[in-house]
Amino acid sequence: MKKLTRRGRVIPALVTVSPVTLWMVLLIGLPLLYVLFLSFMTTDGYSVVFQFNLLNYAKLFDPTYMKIYLNSFIIAFLTTVFCVLLGYPFAYKMARAGGRKKVLMMAFLMIPFWTNSLIRLYGWRTLLAKTGVVNSVLQAVGLIGQPVEFMYTRGAVLLGMVYILFPFMVLPLYAAIEKLDWSLLEASSDLGARRARTFAKVTLPLTSSGIFAGAIMVFIPTLGIFFVSDIMGGGSQQLIGNLIQTQFNAGNNWPLGSALSIGLIVLTLLLVGVYRVSGGKMEDLV
Amino acid sequence: MKKIIGVILAAVTAASLLLLPGCAQKTGAGADAGTINLYIWTEYLPQPVIDEFTKETGIKVNVSMYSDNEEMLSKVKSSSPGTYDIVVPSDYMVANMIQQGLLEKLDLSKIPNLSNIDPSYLKQSFDPANEYSVPYRGGVCELVVNKSVVTEDITSYTQLFDSEYANSIVALDDFRIIAGIVAMSLGYSANETDPAVLQKVGDRLMDLKGNIKILDSDSPKTSMINGEASIGLMWNAEASLAMKDNPDVKLVYPREGNTLFLDNLCIVKGSKNIDAAEKFLNYILDAKASAEISKVYPYLNPNTAAVALLGDDYKNDEAANIPSEIFAKGQYIENVDKAIDTYNDMWAKFTS
Repeated sequence: MKKLTRRGRVIPALVTVSPVTLWMVLLIGLPLLYVLFLSFMTTDGYSVVFQFNLLNYAKLFDPTYMKIYLNSFIIAFLTTVFCVLLGYPFAYKMARAGGRKKVLMMAFLMIPFWTNSLIRLYGWRTLLAKTGVVNSVLQAVGLIGQPVEFMYTRGAVLLGMVYILFPFMVLPLYAAIEKLDWSLLEASSDLGARRARTFAKVTLPLTSSGIFAGAIMVFIPTLGIFFVSDIMGGGSQQLIGNLIQTQFNAGNNWPLGSALSIGLIVLTLLLVGVYRVSGGKMEDLV
Repeated sequence: MKKIIGVILAAVTAASLLLLPGCAQKTGAGADAGTINLYIWTEYLPQPVIDEFTKETGIKVNVSMYSDNEEMLSKVKSSSPGTYDIVVPSDYMVANMIQQGLLEKLDLSKIPNLSNIDPSYLKQSFDPANEYSVPYRGGVCELVVNKSVVTEDITSYTQLFDSEYANSIVALDDFRIIAGIVAMSLGYSANETDPAVLQKVGDRLMDLKGNIKILDSDSPKTSMINGEASIGLMWNAEASLAMKDNPDVKLVYPREGNTLFLDNLCIVKGSKNIDAAEKFLNYILDAKASAEISKVYPYLNPNTAAVALLGDDYKNDEAANIPSEIFAKGQYIENVDKAIDTYNDMWAKFTS
């Protein structure tokens, strides 16, 4: 009897959940396990040699790689900071705006998001090139004599990252700000706090979960995206993502690429772990 | 956000369900006498040329495409024999596939049109007797300069290191090519494996860092056309297009020589229709067919008989019709076995 009821509960759950589970196991779980397996193998310079070793993991601590990680962290950190600084006012305005204006702002945020990001980055390239629109206009009005080198710099990579990841910051922020009980702000104001104080003592603490979620959503992808630094940085600003990509292509060292990927996954899990421990909710990340 | 993800997931699921039966389907009809399966680079062989072959011989050709040698290698290795009959590997990959026993020996008596090929493109280091491969198309990594900016004559790779060219070079994002060129500038081969030599090459490579503005393998011509860079290292087809769009862009040939590539037609081991495959190889080496291909894709055509048929458009296109002495002087990028890791490290340091 007991067995039957258990089965009775399990089967419907299995039917509804299993397609997704199967999907996850087949297309995410198994490939990841293969990556983990490969990361302990080696190569003969051409194909993978199936011989267990830990050399790939030792290689992760190579000083050159350390420099690349550091550079990646700096870019990721700055991207996150700029996304917060630009995203917060935008999300705040959007949360407080009325019907039509809110829809319009949402459209401005989401419509570019539907265009392939490579195409949008090539757009920046057209704008900022030495003979691009911005330089031509500045030269025509006489503000500059020589064209400014905007492209292929660290600044250009940062711009590309902020531009691509901006929506990932705004959406969680918007969700957090919209939930804010506005009467609390009135109360604060009634009690004599100025706007800056109200913001610092009431608004910011109450919306910090959004900032935190947004930061995770921006920081982690920045470490993995390789095409932004290829297109905006001209390939000479290598980040962790580029390093991994090289191992799977020209470098022909899939085991090392796998070890680097595993390293990045572990790092991601650590960051998400920190996020949870410090009170972040997993739902905010979806 | 959840809704959006839901929609995307649904779309991907639906798309992959549609694709799955496609994957399971075998491209070839196996032992069917009248079908061959060709696996070739994208944008490399025009469909009308294939249709003409089918019209003449009745042999059906299934075409599938790849965009790098390694991709082709792993597909050939992981599929059952007969899935692909003909592949078009580059020089070093021919050597590699011969070594791994993946290619069928050719019966050259069945490919009489091989006599159309300029002998300087035959008997190359990767297949010294053309036992396994016949040349299809080739090229070099060209050095181009914008004459309106670069006033001095460039005659050597060593000049690329000059401080006056700071931040002005666009180069292929390809570490074997760039490291190879640096090695050549020091008087070494592009395929060094000696750690002491590679140490020197790596150090010298770092001197080039300040002069390289852009690494771009996809469309390096753009940076030459719009003036973003004044010196370029790129494949000849890209150089040809850059010169057409910007008349200031000119080819220069450094005295150290250029790095080369030569793509070759090969028959895959275990092909179920070797006869038909050999007929196809012979047809592609036919002067008229080969000329038709060159009209669409202006790479270096090693087929002398075809070049004779081609007009001045090809003959005057320096970047496509590379002088054979340049080709003879050049170096292929070869397999360097485990030393590839040293090149890899060099590049990580260079780009970090």
